[in-house]
Amino acid sequence: MLLAYRLPRTPSTPRITLWRKLRRMGVVQIAEGVVALPATADTREQLEWLADDVVQAGGEATIWLAEPTTAAEHRRLAAAMTGRIDEEYRSITAEAHAAMRHSATERRRTLARLRRELRRVAAREYFSTDQADVAREAVEALANAVAAEAAA
Amino acid sequence: MIWATRRHVHIDRTACAWLIRRFVDPAAEFVFVDDPDDVPAEATPFDMRGVELGHRDGRCSFETILVQYELDDPALERIGHLVHEADIGDERYDAPEAAGIDALLRGLALTAHDDQHMLSQTAPLYDALYGLWSRG
Repeated sequence: MLLAYRLPRTPSTPRITLWRKLRRMGVVQIAEGVVALPATADTREQLEWLADDVVQAGGEATIWLAEPTTAAEHRRLAAAMTGRIDEEYRSITAEAHAAMRHSATERRRTLARLRRELRRVAAREYFSTDQADVAREAVEALANAVAAEAAA
Repeated sequence: MIWATRRHVHIDRTACAWLIRRFVDPAAEFVFVDDPDDVPAEATPFDMRGVELGHRDGRCSFETILVQYELDDPALERIGHLVHEADIGDERYDAPEAAGIDALLRGLALTAHDDQHMLSQTAPLYDALYGLWSRG
């Protein structure tokens, strides 16, 4: 599914707000003002609301159900989405590992934050990736360490 | 009055329907459409693109109805925060119940016969939250 939009250059606030929302949804940018997401009832609804925002800000927006003409292009799009998600999961894994060496208070704080991060990233994981399990295991290991400490 | 919204209702639309029936129009009848063009002429549309009772200024439709109908009630406002987070999830509010309600609704949707059934199954959830949060 594609959102094609055009927003006035100024004011810049609606552009920034829109881009922040699109990034949170995990879109891939196809061209200037054209972004793609896998088509589900949920992504469709979210893009529709964003299209309304664009229109309210004095711009133009249309939503398209589109299909790349080649399988290779399809793979490239999926890989672009997965690649970014993998990176986010890897950074969670690294932080969870690093936290094992920190103080008990620090560990508890990091655990709470990483769990929130996991939920945020999972919400834009459209193609499942092994890095998700690796990150979840790392955060669980951190949770076990925190729990063991509390019991001691 | 007749109220219209999109088919396959989830958090925002079930909560709006509950709010409308309890606080705006006790005799409300709901119809569900696929396309905005299918909204009956006499119906008031909600939670659809381009309508007054939709997402506005960063609010979800439930919050928009609270503003439009001047429903000033702390318990409703708190339900509004929950709906906002379950629907939009931008962490504007602290509503840890949002994930739980979202899971309950997804589960109910698996066995609901249709959208009317979904409304009748979800209304007790919102009644319960309203009862709980009205106690302060």
